[in-house]
Amino acid sequence: MPLNSSPSDAIERYPVSPLRMEVDRFVLPAVTLFITLLLFFFMLFPLFAILKLSFFKGGEFAVANFTLANFQKYFTTAYTVRALWHSLYVSIVTMIIVTVIIFFFAYAMTRTTIAGKGFFRNIIMMPLVAPSITQALALIYLFGRNGLITAHLIRTEWSIYGPIGIIISEVLYCLPHAYVILYTTLSAVDIRLDEAAESLGATPFKVFTRITLPSAKYGILSAAALTFNLTITDFGNPVVIGGDYNVLATEIYAQVTNLYRFDLGATISIILLVPSLMVFLFNYYISRKTFSMISGAAKPVIPPSRLLKKIGFTVFCSLISFGIILIFVIVVLGSFVKVWPYDWTLTFKHYHFPSIAGYSALWTSVWVSLVVGIVGAFITLVAAYVMETRKPLFKQFIYLLSVMPAAIPGLVMGLGYVLAFNKSYYFFYGTPWIVVINNIICNFTLGILSGISTLRNIDPSIEEASISLGGDTLRTFFKIIFPLSRVAFFQTFLYFFMRSMTTISAVIFLVSATVHLAAIEIIMLDNDGWTASANAMCTCIILIVLVVLGLLKIVSLKTGGRRTGLTAEV
Amino acid sequence: MSKNLILENLSKHYGSLIAVNNVNLEIQPGEFLCFLGPSGCGKTTILRMITGFEEITSGKILYDGVVINDIIPQKREFGIVFQSYALFPNMTVSQNVAFGLKMRKVPQKVIDTRVDEILGLIGLRGWESHYPSQLSGGQQQRVALGRALAIKPKILLLDEPLSALDAKIRIRLRTVIKRLQEELGITLIYVTHDQEEALALADRVVVMRDGEFRQIGTPWEIYKKPQSSFIAGFVGISNFIAGKKENDRVRFGSRLFKVSGIDAVDGETVHLAIRPENIEALLPESLADGLIPSNIIETTVEVVNFLGSVVRVAFMLEDEEMLVDISEKEFERRNLKRGSKIRLYFPPDAFHVYKELFRKLI
Repeated sequence: MPLNSSPSDAIERYPVSPLRMEVDRFVLPAVTLFITLLLFFFMLFPLFAILKLSFFKGGEFAVANFTLANFQKYFTTAYTVRALWHSLYVSIVTMIIVTVIIFFFAYAMTRTTIAGKGFFRNIIMMPLVAPSITQALALIYLFGRNGLITAHLIRTEWSIYGPIGIIISEVLYCLPHAYVILYTTLSAVDIRLDEAAESLGATPFKVFTRITLPSAKYGILSAAALTFNLTITDFGNPVVIGGDYNVLATEIYAQVTNLYRFDLGATISIILLVPSLMVFLFNYYISRKTFSMISGAAKPVIPPSRLLKKIGFTVFCSLISFGIILIFVIVVLGSFVKVWPYDWTLTFKHYHFPSIAGYSALWTSVWVSLVVGIVGAFITLVAAYVMETRKPLFKQFIYLLSVMPAAIPGLVMGLGYVLAFNKSYYFFYGTPWIVVINNIICNFTLGILSGISTLRNIDPSIEEASISLGGDTLRTFFKIIFPLSRVAFFQTFLYFFMRSMTTISAVIFLVSATVHLAAIEIIMLDNDGWTASANAMCTCIILIVLVVLGLLKIVSLKTGGRRTGLTAEV
Repeated sequence: MSKNLILENLSKHYGSLIAVNNVNLEIQPGEFLCFLGPSGCGKTTILRMITGFEEITSGKILYDGVVINDIIPQKREFGIVFQSYALFPNMTVSQNVAFGLKMRKVPQKVIDTRVDEILGLIGLRGWESHYPSQLSGGQQQRVALGRALAIKPKILLLDEPLSALDAKIRIRLRTVIKRLQEELGITLIYVTHDQEEALALADRVVVMRDGEFRQIGTPWEIYKKPQSSFIAGFVGISNFIAGKKENDRVRFGSRLFKVSGIDAVDGETVHLAIRPENIEALLPESLADGLIPSNIIETTVEVVNFLGSVVRVAFMLEDEEMLVDISEKEFERRNLKRGSKIRLYFPPDAFHVYKELFRKLI
């Protein structure tokens, strides 16, 4: 049938709109500029404010004012120097413990045929839904001065406050983060290597030490680096369970909040920034190597494990899971018990929050987190899209800016915000919007990394197909790229939402008389001796996160997306 | 109607790498032109420069006499079919085909008519509301073809459109593409590394290597008169013999083949190419009347490759393995098998003579 006949000729009269194409040329540069400015203003500028205050007399930026006096003061005060050694000590010990535990846990999930893997996997991810203070609260209820076990079962004077308490809390808090990395590594490494070695006569021990361990080495290092960073930058657990044992994060807070020494707070922030930045760079360096170790033809079929191996790993995984479950059970239970551990009558009275904020803090947290989730997931996807379309040099530049937030501890960023934006003309300061912005920037890295990997999975021809058919940038993005990234969008949303609901360190300096947040309320309540109410607030946060998680799972199942498992999020 | 497209001194450099080196070509309206070459020869780069997805380092592309170097892809109105189909997975067949029209704000009524027309053309009426993932590879590529045609493109460009498909479907879709092109009278530029595809489809074939055009001609010209040993080896199959010229003959080991039209001086090394089907298998008893005795060899069947209508037989000539095609009927009649003695004749005018040998292919 000849096509040159009637109705089709009408098409010739519909060229692409020249105006739209003219406008389209400015879309990408405009968005690029926006993202760049966003990161400059809300990341580099606050960071600069900290540098300025710590290195310049009176925070006045001038060559003549340059001084190392703050650092001298820090390093000559025995109490503050101790914080550095304390931080390094708990971080290194936690790092070693977590890496060893998680390696075997991930090994059990990927290389053995034990039963109940789905259960173990969900349990190990649980700490993600709670603030990093939950562990300390629960441990105090068990092993504190009035702990169920220490004071009532064993009746010992010993209590968990101090380094031991911090380490145990941090271990239980860091597990899921390290797990995600090692699980990915171990499932990506070709299991046939092990089989080949075995078929050549290697003993199982030899296979493990010569093949399995070396092939996972970058994953192990990366998980260790992440654990170190999480621990050294964490604030919630040490502030509750540290007692007199000060670490860098608590010291920053004490200097700023109790002593109003912003300059020393800024100085300690720099000292905290150094190790976390170094570890971040190290991690960045090795994560580029990991890729080459991963075989595209990895085979998921695992040969049946021997009985002894199965029993051993099942017991091990059960113990770890028990530890995590115990934390949650204690916190939830503690929030309903009248007087822990004397009067076990169940009551709702701890849910009548005695603080001024109470439930309003919770609602603020929820709407702030929803906004953070939606805007954060969207902006990072757009940023990833823009980045992927830019020329290599510029791409590198935006990439560098985008991964920087991961290297900056939340507490440091928060302090930077106070120093940079505490001016009357920054209208968003002192409102929940600064919390929104802070949360988006602090978690920018993971959002953009997830965006990049999603976009790289989309065939570049698809975008070119749209363009060749007359599609402009905006319509190509909204009609094709965005729908195709939907699953990743949900996951990034969930990540932003969870982080925003549970973070303490990033926002502790940003709450005020008018802005209250649920996670910070936990600390306030605990500080004022309302420990059970602190547990109640913690329980509320966990519940809300779980509800959103469940809703999202239903939505993504309904819309035909892949299952939104917790494992895939982080 | 399509207008002519001209590539003028066109080059593409990636840093120090020269992907396309100063090529010139005029593509006629309604022509089916094929860029043929091994991977990395620059054929896709040329296609991408024509579509506007690749910046031009130097030179010009003209459509209908107008330089289009700086015109954005959206405004070029060229239809593109990608190797990976690149269908929009979140849209149905109809929505995919309608996409280009939607982008042009064509009234829905016109879109509906047009989409129906296109679906008829590509034989997918009744599949309107299916998603790409519910279609076979061949169907998907037909949708991609329909989607590109829906905007009435000035030129249709296809980048290895069939290489992801099974052999059978590939051959069937070839016919679909050829028929559509002829019916619509559209200029079609086709990129492939499959010489069979190029020969079967194109009006004109451009053979490329290392970013340059090595030969431009009809499939017949390319196949029958390959201008270099590279083309003789790349398009179809050739046996290569290297020897020194002695008068009107070429010495190869102990043999002295008579070869027509040698353009070389005595003693110079030349490379002879001869296609397996141009070597004649002689009957053992037949007299070599009128044949040049020095071009007859006696040898043994080493390997038998049954290809259907012909049997490709490997034999040794002075320690070099060579191929000859014998028709299946002939092969059976003579009861040939591995180890059989055969007599072969190399007609003097069946040789192509080259001064250089392109080795990389072997």
